[in-house]
Amino acid sequence: MSTFTTMQLDALRELANIGSGTAGTALSQMLGRSVDISVPNAFVLPLGQAVEAVGPPEQEVTGVAIPLAGDMDAVVLLVFPVEDAATLAGMLGVEAGTEDAVSALSEIGNILSASYIGSLGAMTGLELDLTPPQTVTDMLAAIVATVLASRAAGTDTALILDSELRVEGEQCSLSFLLLPEAGGVREILSRMGVEA
Amino acid sequence: MTIGAEIAVRMGEIAVSGNPADVLVSLGLGSCIGLAVVDQRHGIAGLAHIMLPEALAGDGPIGKFADRAVPELVERTTALGASRPMLKAVLVGGAQMFALDSSGALDIGARNDTAVREALRKERITVVAAETGGAKGRTIRVVPGGAVLSKEAGGAEIVLMQGVRA
Repeated sequence: MSTFTTMQLDALRELANIGSGTAGTALSQMLGRSVDISVPNAFVLPLGQAVEAVGPPEQEVTGVAIPLAGDMDAVVLLVFPVEDAATLAGMLGVEAGTEDAVSALSEIGNILSASYIGSLGAMTGLELDLTPPQTVTDMLAAIVATVLASRAAGTDTALILDSELRVEGEQCSLSFLLLPEAGGVREILSRMGVEA
Repeated sequence: MTIGAEIAVRMGEIAVSGNPADVLVSLGLGSCIGLAVVDQRHGIAGLAHIMLPEALAGDGPIGKFADRAVPELVERTTALGASRPMLKAVLVGGAQMFALDSSGALDIGARNDTAVREALRKERITVVAAETGGAKGRTIRVVPGGAVLSKEAGGAEIVLMQGVRA
């Protein structure tokens, strides 16, 4: 079972902080509104507990999953409660629940991930590319568990970097999760000079 | 009247019960499989929340991989008093929600489904009902009295196995 020191978790949290700050700026520019960014959480949990740490298992959410390619194997996952996804679609001038709304959310996922991953790459020197976003609406647990399972063959713990972005003056928030595969986490830590 | 509990069976976990008032539940299965084995006559059931087809290396939670979880689930239900020839299996989950597998192999949900059925065949346990595949997440609920229920995201609960007592 892999564990991290407090210093390593702080380094990862700082990475998430800067990444989500950049993503928040991108979202704010896109919408022309202020966006608040929470202090990110860095969880290292057994797989069974990781899903519950993200939110209520049966909550209906829209998830945009963006697998990364390059120096680190990881998946970026944006999670919008369905009502908030609808609000966001409205702000972008598309009707909720339509194909257009799905592509708008996918595009938001793309832009936010590119900002987040861009700053992560700049800080660590890792070459990271985004692959096309995949967007589904389903139970939160089903989405998070499926993403975790796709990277879980060699590990029994999950590292989740979780930031929340909130659009000011609207009931609209989203969670931004980075779910790296175990080898990916070691790579990040060694680039930041805090390897075990 | 027996006091029962809702027992959450999370990723990689296995739980068994012989209390007719209990409910074993795995919420929000995506590519994972919720495998229920039930001995209706003795009112004993078990649920495994299986993530992946087969163990590659290391140990990990016993319920994580189909090849190790299935024999363990059978072992625990029979240890609680279930009769092995009476055990019937119900599968829920194994959806393909995303195409995320970086190796380009077949989707995990379908491979999980195949691996669980193969492991059940080795144990000579019959699959009496299944709600697998597709693209939607599901929740499985198992009552040791015999009922097995499945609910898709945004859908109604369906009965995959009737309980012996209403």
